[in-house]
Amino acid sequence: MTFWLTTAGMVAVTFGSRYAGLALRSELPAFWVRFLHFVPIAVFAALVTPSLEGAMGEGEIRLVGAVVAGLAAWRTRNLGVSIAAGMLAFWLLRIPF
Amino acid sequence: MDSPRGSAFVRGFVAIAPLWLGVVPFGVVYAVIARDAGLSLVETQALSLLVFAGSAQFSAAGLFATGAAGVEIVLTTFLLNVRHVLYGLSLGRRVPLDGWRRPAAAYFLTDEVFGVVAARPAPSFGFLMGAELSLFATWNLATFGGALLGATIPNPADLGLDLVFPLAFLALLVPLVRTRAELAVALVSGVVAYAVAQVVSGGVPIVVTGIAGSLLGAWLTRGRAVGEPRFEDAVREVA
Repeated sequence: MTFWLTTAGMVAVTFGSRYAGLALRSELPAFWVRFLHFVPIAVFAALVTPSLEGAMGEGEIRLVGAVVAGLAAWRTRNLGVSIAAGMLAFWLLRIPF
Repeated sequence: MDSPRGSAFVRGFVAIAPLWLGVVPFGVVYAVIARDAGLSLVETQALSLLVFAGSAQFSAAGLFATGAAGVEIVLTTFLLNVRHVLYGLSLGRRVPLDGWRRPAAAYFLTDEVFGVVAARPAPSFGFLMGAELSLFATWNLATFGGALLGATIPNPADLGLDLVFPLAFLALLVPLVRTRAELAVALVSGVVAYAVAQVVSGGVPIVVTGIAGSLLGAWLTRGRAVGEPRFEDAVREVA
């Protein structure tokens, strides 16, 4: 029973967060329109750097993988190609010589 | 890119495909951890179907295992997921949503979907739902597989598959950076998020950085208008 009550609480706070932003549809002042323009940029950057170094002491080769993926994204603008290029670089560097 | 190759729904569904590589192993591992924590098959699957939030499900499974109080689990979930308010604010202005479409779009909203949809010019509701259900189906099938498999699979972090997620968001970020203000916001946000994550992990660094970085951008561009992402600058999701 505790599980289902807890789950109901998790659903409430998760769906609440997901719905709250979408529900706000009123016209915003210019400052907040510009603010929202920068949300994806700030959030994507925040989703990159904290998880880049990983928990296994492979920070350097993961960083190389990220540089390769970043260059691939810049050249190709293709998500699949960028991920594949970065992961390939990372896995190749990971092979113990 | 907008040459109609199937409906908007199908294009959205396929746009997420490059992320399946990262989503599947983590869905499997979540299920294994949840089963280890003492959750039943039904309970393990219920979290994926009802909550559908990877990081919150991982921490909930861990907390259930330690016998944490329900309030603690719900509060942790809130801290991890409150970042979706920012995603909704951003998407709500770009995707036309009315009536039932708004709660439907909200229910399945995730980081990955926000990433792919926000990087796309003029996304439609069909594209958004295709992307959302693509991730939902993959996550739930992976959960089901993991719950059946048990603890016989290797940890995806050992294979380095957790790197897929930062690489994906980097690849989505790069085409969005075109002006000096955007570059400044991206660089400062990366540094701020890294610094905050040293103190507190989970969703807090994303919320703090999302607000601080966007305030910086709005301030840097004062007196100017910023437009929609340009058509030719958007990332192509599939080859």
